[in-house]
Amino acid sequence: MGSRPPVRNREARRRWRGYVYVLPAFAVYVAFAVLPALHTAYLSLFDWDGVTLGEWVGLGNYAEIFQDSILRRSVFNALVLVVFFSFVPIVLGLLSAGLLARYRRPGMGAYRFLFMLPQVVPLVAVGVTWRWLYGDDGVVNQALRAVGLDSVARAWLGDFDFALIAVGLVGTWVLSGLCMMLFLSGVQKVDPSLYEAARIDGAGPVREFLSVTLPHLRGELAVAMTVTTVAALASFDIVYVTTNGGPGEQTTVPGLLVYRLAFSEGKVGLAAALAVVLGVLILAIVYLINRLSRDRT
Amino acid sequence: MMDSTHRVRRRIAATVCAVALVLPLAACDALTPGSATAVPGPTSVPSSTAVPAGDVTLHLQFADAPLMVDALIAAFEKDHPDITVEPQYKTFSDYVQNLKLTMTSDTAPDIAQYAVGMTDLAADGHILDLAPYREAYGWDEAIPPVSLDQLTAGQTSEATGGRALFGVPAGLSMTGIYYNKELAEKAGIDAPPKTLGEFEKQLASAEDADLTPLGVGALDSGGLHLWAALLNQLMPTDEYWDWVNGRKGATMENPAAVEASELVIDWGRKGYYNESANGTAQVDSTAQFAKGDSVFLINGNWAAGQLATVMGDNVGFFPMPGEQAGSPTVASGFSVSYAVSAKTEHPQAAGAFLDFLTSPEAGQIISDNGFMPPNPDAVKKPTGVLADIAEGHRRAVADDGITTFPDFAAPAMLDRLRSGVQKLIADRVTPADYLDSLQDEWEDHHGE
Repeated sequence: MGSRPPVRNREARRRWRGYVYVLPAFAVYVAFAVLPALHTAYLSLFDWDGVTLGEWVGLGNYAEIFQDSILRRSVFNALVLVVFFSFVPIVLGLLSAGLLARYRRPGMGAYRFLFMLPQVVPLVAVGVTWRWLYGDDGVVNQALRAVGLDSVARAWLGDFDFALIAVGLVGTWVLSGLCMMLFLSGVQKVDPSLYEAARIDGAGPVREFLSVTLPHLRGELAVAMTVTTVAALASFDIVYVTTNGGPGEQTTVPGLLVYRLAFSEGKVGLAAALAVVLGVLILAIVYLINRLSRDRT
Repeated sequence: MMDSTHRVRRRIAATVCAVALVLPLAACDALTPGSATAVPGPTSVPSSTAVPAGDVTLHLQFADAPLMVDALIAAFEKDHPDITVEPQYKTFSDYVQNLKLTMTSDTAPDIAQYAVGMTDLAADGHILDLAPYREAYGWDEAIPPVSLDQLTAGQTSEATGGRALFGVPAGLSMTGIYYNKELAEKAGIDAPPKTLGEFEKQLASAEDADLTPLGVGALDSGGLHLWAALLNQLMPTDEYWDWVNGRKGATMENPAAVEASELVIDWGRKGYYNESANGTAQVDSTAQFAKGDSVFLINGNWAAGQLATVMGDNVGFFPMPGEQAGSPTVASGFSVSYAVSAKTEHPQAAGAFLDFLTSPEAGQIISDNGFMPPNPDAVKKPTGVLADIAEGHRRAVADDGITTFPDFAAPAMLDRLRSGVQKLIADRVTPADYLDSLQDEWEDHHGE
């Protein structure tokens, strides 16, 4: 009886000691991530122009968000971008991983390096470059005209039907490399004898991909989906630099609106509310992705 | 089971913590955003023109025409050896986005270029009312009053009882139509049009001659100049001013604005614009025009220097013509103007610098840098396209016809205008819906 409390104490102390080590990092995290986020949530309850005295409006800003057609349109655009930023790159990444998985090939490092390159370039530079490529006399149109497709050529970023797709393809270009790299490194962890065994059992390339490669990539797949989906929903830089949301509202995304509302339109409260909604939406989707990838195990 | 009750308990604890954090925040007045920014001290300048002796350094933050600013500062410092002006250049978008943070910070520059966000800053006392200087320095003689009236932020002056003044213009701007003389001749156009109808006929004959009639760079703000130029001809100027200044009851949902919007759609249907107008930035449309890609170009005088250099005598300029030959000349225009921060310790030195901007010496520097000086009589007569612009501006000033850009009506108006005009050009919106979106934004900002 008398000896138990000290043991529990020691155990409890040991259990808490871990937190002491984490404390400095945790403090920094709270100061620079958690408190600003709470402050944003707090600001979202005000009607504030950034200068004069704010006025408490409670959940009014949130009500405004759900009534605003431009905001709804921007969420729709972001979801379209998920296809280009996430779905297409993942399919491309899986395809190349599948093609390269069967044999160990020389020069894998160089290959990975090449496809990783778009990741290394700042997105603003990527956007500016693509704006040139898509321009009236840009490389894209030059190529189209060179093969006789003059009627197809246009200023892609100014076209109501194609602007969003054009912006999406920039994302595809950037994120495909990341997905490929993730999957290729995942494939390299697979024991080669598994492929040999599969081949001896008479598996063709497709069977091999489905039975050996894909199951081993589940972890990488979850990471790729999380990272690319967040990139699509939180996209700002590429859109800002290439189209600034135009033509009309064809490429307006929530990230761009948060920026505009806060910095050029003087609606800081509304911007904060939209940022909170966007954050919650992203967290929900990421949670869903992780949930699904876990359930399959 | 054990695990899930644990999780639930943790979640409840987290919620309670969050609520406990937010509740006292909501209760505390000091945390109300904006409550710490109220400015103590004077909100207007003294009425004397004297500058105290002693070395003074002024910080000047600006976004337009760095070469012009450098030259102005050099000339000013020669006149006032005791005063040093430190210029801080920022790109325009950077400048505008950060303006409010800059001007409400403790390290606000003494002098700052006037931009759209200044209205809110002026309303909250962050910008000094310069009305006492207007009288003391006699700026009404040196500067056309219409240019000063654009800088009142719609307020009255507490110091003088008249209209407030929150900036002094250094160079004036105006939008209008450039034309390529060779191409115009090819299309059978021999003189600038005298009426809007005549201009439409010229656009049609340019189209008939297989040329691109009108260059528009609508990817950024270039499209709004086209719409505003047409609006200026069709809508009574007084009503337009009421709308821009946010006067109660003003509206953009009127027949004249519908007509102007219909014209933009109509010209698009007839193929008068460069094919990729919506995908072309304003600077790019200017470069294309300089290459000879279109007969006409809508842009402002800020493009004149570049066009004169590339095209020489082959380029001319005229303000958008009115409905009748005798209609007054009306064009959108503003100025590169400078305001004084309420935090400055040297309002008198700042006043001396602003007054210098109105001098003939400064006017010559402004003119040499491609802008129109506030007082055109004091400088050498420009030549070529610059002379066309100066003449157009003179007529517009004489007719009281320089109107501010429509995006001055509300901070968010630029976005509505830009995307709206893009839709008009692409025939994707009815004039009624477009104007409704503008008016919504207006009510949102000016509504009770």
